[in-house]
Amino acid sequence: MSDDQGLVLTSQRTDLIGRLRTTLARRTEGRALALLVVVAIGAWITEPVVFTSYDVTLGRIALIGLVALGLTAVILMGELDLSVASTLAVAGVVMASIDNLAIGILAALVVGLVIGAANAFFVVVVGINSFIATLGMLFFLRGLGFVLSDEQPVRLSNIEAGISFGKPLIGDFTPRMLIFIATFIAMQIFMTRVRVGREFYAVGGNRQAAYDAGIPVRRRIFTGFMISGIVAAGAGAINTLERTAADPTAGSTVLLSSFAAAIIGGILLTGGRGSVFGTLLGATSLGILQVALTLSAVQVDVQNIIIGFVLFVAVITDPNSLRAVVGSARSYLRARTAPQPQS
Amino acid sequence: MSENLAGRSVTPTTSDGGDGQQTAVTAPTAEAGPPAQVGIEQRDFHLLAWLADRGIIVFTLALVLLAAAFVDGFASVDNITDVFNRAAPIGIVAVGMTFVVISANYLDLSVVAQVATAAVVLIGISNETNIPLAMLLALGIALVYGVVNGVAVGVFKANAVIVTLATTFMGLGILRWASGGSIYFGPEDSLIRSFGTTEIGPFPLSMIALIVIAIALHLVLTRTTFGFMVKSYGSNREATRLAGVNISLVVIGAFILSALGAMIGGFVLAAFSNTAVSAMSDGFDFEALAAIIVGGTSVFGGRGSVLRTLLGVVFVSVLTNIMVLSGLGFGYQQMAIGALIVVAVSVDALARRAAGI
Repeated sequence: MSDDQGLVLTSQRTDLIGRLRTTLARRTEGRALALLVVVAIGAWITEPVVFTSYDVTLGRIALIGLVALGLTAVILMGELDLSVASTLAVAGVVMASIDNLAIGILAALVVGLVIGAANAFFVVVVGINSFIATLGMLFFLRGLGFVLSDEQPVRLSNIEAGISFGKPLIGDFTPRMLIFIATFIAMQIFMTRVRVGREFYAVGGNRQAAYDAGIPVRRRIFTGFMISGIVAAGAGAINTLERTAADPTAGSTVLLSSFAAAIIGGILLTGGRGSVFGTLLGATSLGILQVALTLSAVQVDVQNIIIGFVLFVAVITDPNSLRAVVGSARSYLRARTAPQPQS
Repeated sequence: MSENLAGRSVTPTTSDGGDGQQTAVTAPTAEAGPPAQVGIEQRDFHLLAWLADRGIIVFTLALVLLAAAFVDGFASVDNITDVFNRAAPIGIVAVGMTFVVISANYLDLSVVAQVATAAVVLIGISNETNIPLAMLLALGIALVYGVVNGVAVGVFKANAVIVTLATTFMGLGILRWASGGSIYFGPEDSLIRSFGTTEIGPFPLSMIALIVIAIALHLVLTRTTFGFMVKSYGSNREATRLAGVNISLVVIGAFILSALGAMIGGFVLAAFSNTAVSAMSDGFDFEALAAIIVGGTSVFGGRGSVLRTLLGVVFVSVLTNIMVLSGLGFGYQQMAIGALIVVAVSVDALARRAAGI
């Protein structure tokens, strides 16, 4: 980040407004910010409870955002990890199947790492497109979750731990929120201040250039998928603790909301652009939206329609898409108005 | 300002981004010319390439023979009819979706919502009014799905997986909200019911419908300009655009065909069970994709055929049937199909690399 700023400073634009404009032009969080403002104002007017009982809202944001934070690392490299939904379910089932809680949590996280490494193996070594590789894994792991659990919810043996896990730990913050905040801070530092994290942007921006610049692209992709896997597994462990049981069908709605959070947050699917903070904004606006809709007694089906619509709008309004539309509209108009070239 | 940005921009403009579009002032009337077959001739023998190309025929035959020999209850007329009955709706969905896969747009996840919607509309609306009206309404909905997905992917150049994920949730949400999640039962003496129960030998009518549709779509893919354009777009979208093809329309067309396939698949599914509920098509997206990929259509786009998908449907259905007969539950079936997708795509990818493509 600081290198980029230095470049700007040495070029023509040194005044404050100019710097502000260049900074803003690079950001991709605009849509998330706009949605957040609209949703927050709407919720403020219709359901002010969203903000007065902010712990509920925060809990929902943490639920949506945690998996999305892990996904951010993968999407920034221009890849996609659809298997997070099943990773969450399998990790939860593995954790609940082990009697010792600590070993269970550890095993769940290891499962996440292994799944991430397997995804990366197919993407990097075999050379499959990550959309298809992780889609296959999504289905495979969903089946694995059913097989391991006998298609039944698996009860956690240590129920007391689960019950205390759902209670506020520091102030009004439950452990889930604290873990979410800690993950956010860790990811934010990793992606903006740590060399490896910065190199993720290079890999996503231009893979060949990154490779030529000496960045170990394959290793970075492995790291990214393992981050996404372990975060999803952690989310699975948290779910299992809070519900004191692991549900093999968990995670079907996670897919929609976590991708929605990351994409609304401005993480471009082509890679290279976006920020962890954007994902936080996306998750926050979605969380407020969901809680407000639930408080207004809107059915889950209708909530899904709204969130699906928001995701749809977000994915067709990213800068690349808009440029494509403007470009084709312009060439269409030009083709109609320009004199026909002789054939 | 723009100089500033260009000077330090870390992200290069992607090739299919706007910059390419702005140069699209080539004569729009340019003829596509006789579309050349973009097949890759392979002289040397590569085991992987052979597997990716012809393997499915051998595997399907081997699977059917092994099942007939070793799995109790497989080789009976009742069971074969059952396999056909279950294969037909997925098959019809898969042959339609083949166009989306060949156009290098991965897949159409929203077929799950489309199949369920078509089934619920057919049974629910025909109970209230009559069958033609229900079918007309379902056709309208299918066109909406095809156009919405197609415009988002073809005009806005958005990612097909995310777009169709979004439309799936919107579509299922609308369906559940409109139907209240209730199950619709068709009358016992209706035309729909008799379509679902009529059998010619071991062939249910739905299987014959699948074969007819597959042949029709095969002709569309191999004998029409549109079919060539889909293949050409899947191989190289930039070259296709420069050749004067309206690539947005090609993508929209592929998604409309996928939507029509999903609609007919929904009709057939509804006729078979004579009931319709919003959750009846879970997993159709994956099973259809598995059939397409196992058949040898490449997810990298450009290569593939509808008849191959038909073979893939047979393979996936027989495999599922064997697992059911062997008492392996839902979880194992899902694992198998997930593994099948990954393995088949891996073979394809490795074969391409071995062949030096």
